[in-house]
Amino acid sequence: MIHYVALLLYISALILWVRSFLEGGRGRMAALAFGVAAAGVTAHTVALARFTVINNELPLVGLAPSLSTMALIIGVGLLATIGLGEVRRVGIVLIPVVILMEGTAVVLGVQPTEGVLDFQGAWFALHVTLAFAGYSGMTVAFSASLLYLLQFNTLKAKRLGPAFRFLPPLATLDRLGRIGLVAGLITLTLGLAIGWAWTVRFRHSFQQTDPAVIWGVLTWAVFVGVLMVRGRGGEYERRGALATVVGFTVVVAAYVVLRLAASTGGFFLR
Amino acid sequence: MTLAVVGVSHHTAPVEARERFAFGHAEAVRALGRLREEAGLHEAVLVSTCNRTELYFHPAADPAALEAGAAVLRNKAEGIEGSADRFLYQKQGLDSVRHLYCVSAGLDSMVLGEAEIQGQVKIAYELATRVPVAPPMAGPVLSRLFQTALSVGGRVRSETTIGQGAASVASVAVELAGKIFGSLKSRRALVVGAGANAELVAEALTRRGALSVLVANRTHERAVALAGRLEGTAIPYQDVPSRLDDVDILVTSTAAPHAVITLEAVRGALPQARGRPLLIMDLSIPRDVEPAIGSEPNVFLYNVDDLREIVDDALDRRKAVFPVAERIIEDEVEAFRRWYAGRQVVPLIRSLRGRWDGVRDQELQWLWQRLGHLSPEDREMVERFSERLLGKLLHEPTVRLREGAENGRVADFVDAVRYLHDLDVAVPGLASDEDEEPAESVPESLTESDET
Repeated sequence: MIHYVALLLYISALILWVRSFLEGGRGRMAALAFGVAAAGVTAHTVALARFTVINNELPLVGLAPSLSTMALIIGVGLLATIGLGEVRRVGIVLIPVVILMEGTAVVLGVQPTEGVLDFQGAWFALHVTLAFAGYSGMTVAFSASLLYLLQFNTLKAKRLGPAFRFLPPLATLDRLGRIGLVAGLITLTLGLAIGWAWTVRFRHSFQQTDPAVIWGVLTWAVFVGVLMVRGRGGEYERRGALATVVGFTVVVAAYVVLRLAASTGGFFLR
Repeated sequence: MTLAVVGVSHHTAPVEARERFAFGHAEAVRALGRLREEAGLHEAVLVSTCNRTELYFHPAADPAALEAGAAVLRNKAEGIEGSADRFLYQKQGLDSVRHLYCVSAGLDSMVLGEAEIQGQVKIAYELATRVPVAPPMAGPVLSRLFQTALSVGGRVRSETTIGQGAASVASVAVELAGKIFGSLKSRRALVVGAGANAELVAEALTRRGALSVLVANRTHERAVALAGRLEGTAIPYQDVPSRLDDVDILVTSTAAPHAVITLEAVRGALPQARGRPLLIMDLSIPRDVEPAIGSEPNVFLYNVDDLREIVDDALDRRKAVFPVAERIIEDEVEAFRRWYAGRQVVPLIRSLRGRWDGVRDQELQWLWQRLGHLSPEDREMVERFSERLLGKLLHEPTVRLREGAENGRVADFVDAVRYLHDLDVAVPGLASDEDEEPAESVPESLTESDET
């Protein structure tokens, strides 16, 4: 029930953001959208906390719980922009992603998984949370880069309409994209390292064909590749934004392909 | 309504004349002080900006007051060629209220909808409160007028798109630079040519905090002079291509008959893989910058037509909301009229209240003589009861009187109230009363029930 409330609040926030976009960002509509999104994140947190208490299990295993958790982390990432003025407007891209993930989770049903993992406990929670934070960083970078390209094209085409007024400056979006990538790379690296160390320590073998491993390593490579394209000092702004959008698309596509390929076994966001 | 404005603005006078009428802050305070001392004006506020100088005053019922107001401006422009009067305009009553509301909302500004004027109106009002006279020059009527003018300005800007979009080439330049670079604090600009437009744009960028401005001109002395005004650095004209890669914003405004920034020069100067954006604003006709440069990656090229189109677009959008803004202003003018009319009956309400307060006192004395045994607490209770009763009895007549005045029906009520309550008080503005003493604001306590 609380998941539905959160979803409803996210959808309301999106409607307000779209209205603000159409009005060129004037008035308090964007601030209101941010407030409603914050309420959505709060409800979402309560829902997942309740899941943890009732099931005595963190919502990190199984497709629906893990999608919901990742959506929450992205939502929290959005809230982190609270004091950054126009930067908050990346919510117009982040919130649809959150809605898609949380919506899918709600449709599938946020239920505990029946399987038993051999990798459990605090290290597992840390591994998954860091990996999710890495993916969230990638999502934030994708949002900022998408808006960068939109603003770039608006400026090139000299169409200074509502989009021009609503969107943050190119430099701001570029900085946000870079922060998302760097923070995401660090957390994903830590998450992967913990997973690898645990596997080697306790299982004495490393399943390189595990879809989760493939996806994690691929995402890590995408991070590194995109950061390289952006240049050492991040001077290639547009190229970097384009690479980020392509990279994010590759990561999402890889997830879909791997999910389809992983017919049985494993706990790859099942 | 005995309220008037006399002034000069961009509608009636060129800049050379307007600057003669302009008052500094200290000058305005002194001039207002003299108005009270020499002309005996009760209330006055002086608005002085680069586009207007206007004196609002109250009361302004007789020609002498109007003349005193006009004299303030005329004296300031003393020595101006010809008569200063040819630049002056005058509005009275509700027209002066409407005018100030339009001014505050930016509807009377040279750049329609500009927001700076609202701050200037606020400063004018604050200056009037600083005049060392008692009662203050910003008295009840002008305080109300200016406070409502500020809120009308805010309302028009928040309820319409009158302030949206840049409405001058300089503000478009700043808006564009802001949308590309965010903060301009670490950005460098290069101005090629010393034209007036380039100077305006460079000034606007500097005000927004651009780190440094380089100026190049074919006549180096002019570049030095402009750089001095902008607190920038003059560079030799031939160094322009080699400095292109150092700057983020390029503004050109030369009188050259051909392009001075060529594609070849840009390609030679900028590294192939320049990743940082370069904003070029070409304000010249014929154009200084080859159009093909706009196709280069990371180069945003805007020529004078592009900028003008953006300005015209913004102005068209602003003009489109003019009727909505005017409707808001008419609503507010009507609200002010009602408030002002309500003030007419204040002396009558005071008199009515005083009359029955006296009766209440007398009756209480009568009661105390007969109920001497009452404790102080009981006496206080009885006294409060009498106050509450009187308040409730007079509440409705007070409200009706004020409503009647607001609806222009003062005459219907005043005589009846005076006759029924045996009152002898003049009501300003009433044909039957000659006394025109200005009334004070209606205290809330006289219009609200004494509920406790």
